[in-house]
Amino acid sequence: MKSIRLISFIFSFMILVSCSSKVEKRRDEIIYWSSNNTEEIEFAKYVVNKWNQINKNQKVKFQPVPEGQSSEEVILAAVVGKTTPDIYSNMWEGDVESYARAGVLVALDTLEGFMNFLYERCDSSVIKEVTSPDGHIYQIPWKINPVMMIYNVNEFRNLGFLEPPKTYSEFLEAAKKFQRDVNGDGYVDRWIGYAEVVVTWWQRLFDFYPLYLAASNGAPLVKNNKAVFNNEAAKKVFDFLRKLYKNNYFPKERLSVRQDVFLDGIIATRFTGPWEIPHTEKFKPEGFNYNFTNMLVPDNHEGPVYTYGDPKNIVIFKKCPNPNLALRFLMFALDEENDLKFLEITNQLPHRKNLDTNPKYLSYFSRNPKMKIFASEVKYVKGTDQSPQLREVFDLISQEYEACVIYGKKTPEEALNDAEKAVNLLFIK
Amino acid sequence: MRKKIIPYLLVSPYLIYFLVFMAFPVGFSFFLTFTNWNIISPIEYAGLSNYKRLVNDAVFWKSLLNTFIFLIIHIPLQIIVSLFLAELLNQKIRLRGFFRAAFFLPVIVSGVVVTIIWQQLYGFDSGLLNRLLIKIGFSKVGWLTDPNLAMPSIAIMATWKNVGLYIVLFLVGLQTVPPQFYEAAELEGATHMQKFFKITLPIINPTIFMVVVLSTIGGFSLFIEPYVMTGGGPMNSTMSAVLYIYKQGFFYYHMGYAATLGLFFALLILAVVIIQKKFVERD
Repeated sequence: MKSIRLISFIFSFMILVSCSSKVEKRRDEIIYWSSNNTEEIEFAKYVVNKWNQINKNQKVKFQPVPEGQSSEEVILAAVVGKTTPDIYSNMWEGDVESYARAGVLVALDTLEGFMNFLYERCDSSVIKEVTSPDGHIYQIPWKINPVMMIYNVNEFRNLGFLEPPKTYSEFLEAAKKFQRDVNGDGYVDRWIGYAEVVVTWWQRLFDFYPLYLAASNGAPLVKNNKAVFNNEAAKKVFDFLRKLYKNNYFPKERLSVRQDVFLDGIIATRFTGPWEIPHTEKFKPEGFNYNFTNMLVPDNHEGPVYTYGDPKNIVIFKKCPNPNLALRFLMFALDEENDLKFLEITNQLPHRKNLDTNPKYLSYFSRNPKMKIFASEVKYVKGTDQSPQLREVFDLISQEYEACVIYGKKTPEEALNDAEKAVNLLFIK
Repeated sequence: MRKKIIPYLLVSPYLIYFLVFMAFPVGFSFFLTFTNWNIISPIEYAGLSNYKRLVNDAVFWKSLLNTFIFLIIHIPLQIIVSLFLAELLNQKIRLRGFFRAAFFLPVIVSGVVVTIIWQQLYGFDSGLLNRLLIKIGFSKVGWLTDPNLAMPSIAIMATWKNVGLYIVLFLVGLQTVPPQFYEAAELEGATHMQKFFKITLPIINPTIFMVVVLSTIGGFSLFIEPYVMTGGGPMNSTMSAVLYIYKQGFFYYHMGYAATLGLFFALLILAVVIIQKKFVERD
């Protein structure tokens, strides 16, 4: 009796174990995750449906990236847990290199037709930017949101400026005139602009970094595992921003917790992207007049004004059962026609060359003239350097930025020297 | 044979627990100190590069200094405030039970909740403390935004949160003082201060030492307060050692380097504990 019980227990246990063993089923469909931004979900649904109607035997299954504290964390968890999608379309350019080195991404240049597609879509500088140090390309440049300066036209006219400020000196002059203690409580409560004072690394993508790119004609921060940002351009940027905080032209307090301070006239400028347009159009008070201009540059600046494009790119994970099919879907999703649809639905710019002159998009830009300002900037947009340590590079710069720019405890030279030393420590072998 | 196996079987649950949850993590952490591993990549041997980086890492040394600054502010403040309040609560006063409960309440409230409440109090623009300062004619103070004030502000908050626990410990200590000693001192004409310094303090010395040890351990593990309130800023002035180790491990995924920092910090705590133990033995 006992032995029968024992045998039946072992048998049941074996059945349970065999049931739980994972057998990876062969999938015929491609799994695609987009970001969970409403407009991007709408576009992804549109393009996937369109593809699935044409390719009934090669279907793509779409879902937004699962909810988490951030999409970056969700993707990392998916990589660790080996539960990645086949395609992910919201990868920050600065994260790609670490995933490439981890060997979880498909080298797209090894797929048939990719390079022709890429040369058709992007110019050589963008291709160079997305090429990994190992010579392969792991990402498709997908969309950009160039950082520019929004300004309150009426306020600047009131100050006697018919044109927006272009250089540091002009901006400082305007700042001095605009600064005011409106309610007379002894504290300044009107500033020329605002940038987040928090030290979080990615905040520097919207103040220091675009200003650095503008001042340096698009120079890198790191190159060949070495910090290369300790230069004249970075010093000028630190010095300029430091003056803004020192003279209380930019507030040290956090204004982002209030209502929109730009629309309320509390600040007259902001470094921002095209996402500002629908927001401003929706909430602007009557008679409010705004426009966009390039990032500010040092007084002696020559040449075009570069900026940061906040690029989000598309990757194919190695788990994908059919990378060629995934690429075919992406070439379809990113063709001229679908890029136009993407523009119309999301009001974000596809990362393709000649965007402002391509006849396909002229009608859209004539209906959205403010978007055209951003489109014209596309050829002067930079992404990030291809380094797996990029977040920490930005974090270390941000710490020195805080010490020098916000608190004035270090000179620009000291801050950049310390940042350079700290960044070079990251690459110790 | 059976007699030999049975003792091992009896201790095996703990032994398995110890091996899986203690010995292996410690051993693996030590192994990681010689590697570069970011969770997603294969583990790469890195020699002593993590140790070289530690020696040159200014932020880590600053985080250690911050932790010691916190201890230097927090421990004396903790002892003075809790001993003073314990002395008051040891008197026969009205509502003594209510006060004892009220002082103990912050101890059982979640650390994150307390931290968020104090963050509101310390707010630069609309914080209660700055509003009060303006009302009485002073300027606003950057409690959490001034690099010189941020850590003392956190120390004050931590003291407020833990004071109830140490009041209880001191009350126990105070009740061990024989009342005859006070009576004899009063007959000799001793003042209240003399009684406190000549009788109370020497007798409750072991309790004070226990509070010092407990506060030190608590201070070394400072994490929630800077993590929630300041993120280690401004200018890394509230970056505690534990927060920095966490940041390296779970923000940048530098597991090898985080393990190196953790190992160094553990050895440092061990050294401090040995020194404290020497003091106890000398006592």
